[in-house]
Amino acid sequence: MEPVPDTVALAGNPNAGKTTLFNALCGTAEKVGNYGGVTVAVREGECMSPHGRRLRVVDLPGCYDLSGASPDQRLAAEVLSGRDPRQPTPDLVVCVVDASNLERHLQLVLEVLEFGLPVVVALNMIDLAERQGLRLDPVKLSEELGVPVVPIQANRGKGLVELKQAMRHPFPAPPQKRHWEKGEAESRRAFGLAAAALAARRPTAHSGNFSDRLDAVLLHPVLGWVCFVAIMFALFWSIFSFAAIPMGWIEGMQESLVALVEDRLGEGDLRDLLTQGVIGGVGAVVVFLPQILLLFLFIGLLESTGYMARAAFLMDGVMGRAGLSGKAFLPLLSSYACAIPGVLATRTIDSAKERLVTIFVAPWMSCSARLPVYLLLVPMLLGGSEGGAMQALVFLAVYAVGTLTAFVVARILRGRLGPDEVKSHFLLELPSYRLPQWSYILRHVLERGWSFLKKAGTFILAIMILLWAASTYPKLDSDDPAEVLGHSLVGRVSRIIEPVVAPLGFDGRTGTAILTSFAAREVFVGSMAQLFQVQESEDEEETRGRIRARLAAETRPDGRPLFGPAAVVSLLIFYIYALQCLPTSAVVARESGSWRWAAGQFVFMMVFAYLASLVVYQGARFLGLG
Amino acid sequence: MAINAVNPRDEKALLSLAEAGVGRDFRIERIEGPGCEQLRRLGFCESLSVRKLAGGRNLVCSVCGTRLAVSSELAEQVKVRPLAAA
Repeated sequence: MEPVPDTVALAGNPNAGKTTLFNALCGTAEKVGNYGGVTVAVREGECMSPHGRRLRVVDLPGCYDLSGASPDQRLAAEVLSGRDPRQPTPDLVVCVVDASNLERHLQLVLEVLEFGLPVVVALNMIDLAERQGLRLDPVKLSEELGVPVVPIQANRGKGLVELKQAMRHPFPAPPQKRHWEKGEAESRRAFGLAAAALAARRPTAHSGNFSDRLDAVLLHPVLGWVCFVAIMFALFWSIFSFAAIPMGWIEGMQESLVALVEDRLGEGDLRDLLTQGVIGGVGAVVVFLPQILLLFLFIGLLESTGYMARAAFLMDGVMGRAGLSGKAFLPLLSSYACAIPGVLATRTIDSAKERLVTIFVAPWMSCSARLPVYLLLVPMLLGGSEGGAMQALVFLAVYAVGTLTAFVVARILRGRLGPDEVKSHFLLELPSYRLPQWSYILRHVLERGWSFLKKAGTFILAIMILLWAASTYPKLDSDDPAEVLGHSLVGRVSRIIEPVVAPLGFDGRTGTAILTSFAAREVFVGSMAQLFQVQESEDEEETRGRIRARLAAETRPDGRPLFGPAAVVSLLIFYIYALQCLPTSAVVARESGSWRWAAGQFVFMMVFAYLASLVVYQGARFLGLG
Repeated sequence: MAINAVNPRDEKALLSLAEAGVGRDFRIERIEGPGCEQLRRLGFCESLSVRKLAGGRNLVCSVCGTRLAVSSELAEQVKVRPLAAA
């Protein structure tokens, strides 16, 4: 029988390179950032020791010490002390320290040593330290700490063989417990500083390096903002323009597939199910894959190079007006891709109340799932054409409406929650600029893409098939598609929903499409295509044009168009504000530690979306614009 | 929480990191105030040298080769003494 693998815990300060080492040891592609606090939970992997024994590797969240009360500090301390019921007590702890910053990182190592476990110190980023002119002495450090010290460069895989040698059986003996003379924290700090001074001798004068020179521009009160705006503009512009090329390829493949099915199958339910339900419905969602990949790629790049911390620094003043700090910037920016990583990233925020407020408003940053809806609706406001500067402006306005409302609500909520018991100030490490770690970023982006495709291939596919069946059965022997739909299950549901959504300017079918998109917003486009019985065209842009033409041609019983400007804006407003994402609510409940908070957020956002749409539509009608 | 007793005459030579000049090197003499623990956790300790890289609402400084962004309110709690130019 194979022996139970030993557990090796990786501990260290934020941004010490723990996750990079974890990936290098276990061959995984966990997300790596150049921004403190990327690891927000305990991760597990496996690697082999030099003797072929399996080792279970646990990547602990990064923290500066183990005595604080933040969730990550508590989690790390509980795992190391064996008090976490989900994790066995580690058999060995690998403390990952940044060689260029030993004075600070040794404080945590000294705390870890007091748990009485075998410890190996991985002296990471030795290249960076040497470039800064530090003279490292790992042997001296090992003597001072009483544990093995291995110099490594985790991002290049250097020193990993030596590190694995140090991680083999028998594990090093646990260090002898130190008895601090006076105040424990103060003595430990003094010891750490003395050990760091011996093991890493610094050049006496501060020499401005590349990062300092770059910061002189990127953090400049004027130039810094010019660069920030340019970077953010380039990010969103490229998402919308570059993505058009691969989107064309996907659309081409979709058209060929429809043509193939139509060639092979005669007219009937099966052909309709495949072309309208499966290919049409799922295809309408999959086509947005390139934009989602690009968004994750750019956010990965900003984190990996170290710019994200600079953006947080610059944004601190702006966020302050909303009662938040610069640390809320990364979670909110990530929420433009998806609210789930955004909510998880709030763990780096020190103030518990600020964290709750950030979690609360994060879903109002328009996520990538809303893109398909916006791309369908925005051109309807502009005479049906796609592309152009006007459309970009409307898109910008759509994003701005969500963001600005989030800031206003954050400010009100922050005021209501009252001040923190312990005031937390803005204090952030600005890591050295690094070249992006392409392999990890690309693997992470591909993983996100794959999970999106899996969702499209399973969850969204199932909804599309169910929707097709519900809009086809029970069948009516008639040639009029409207009559067939009216007789079907969907037609009946639409009639029930209609009175609820009519004040917002929608008919029963639009209400049904909204209902189907409660589990995932992107379903809306496919649902609309099915419910309004739009025929697929050989050209996908033409298909979208046809959906729009079909919607534009729909009229109300009094002869007014169903989708006049007022109804389209009302629908856009509804999608900006409504929280139609069950996984987000589940993550909010977990992170806030309260289902009531998640339920409150859901109800608040739904009621807000309904009322905002109502005000917009009825206001526009009153002014004679609808 | 002073580690070294400071001569009252020298006390006048101390200034807060918030009011210290940009581009100059200083030695941290004392850290005192409610944000003291937060500062120590991120590496501000008595006797370390610090270079102020930028001022403003949040200032940027370098402690032991690490760049840190610190709110000016926190920087008020770090008392420094100018180091003689090398």
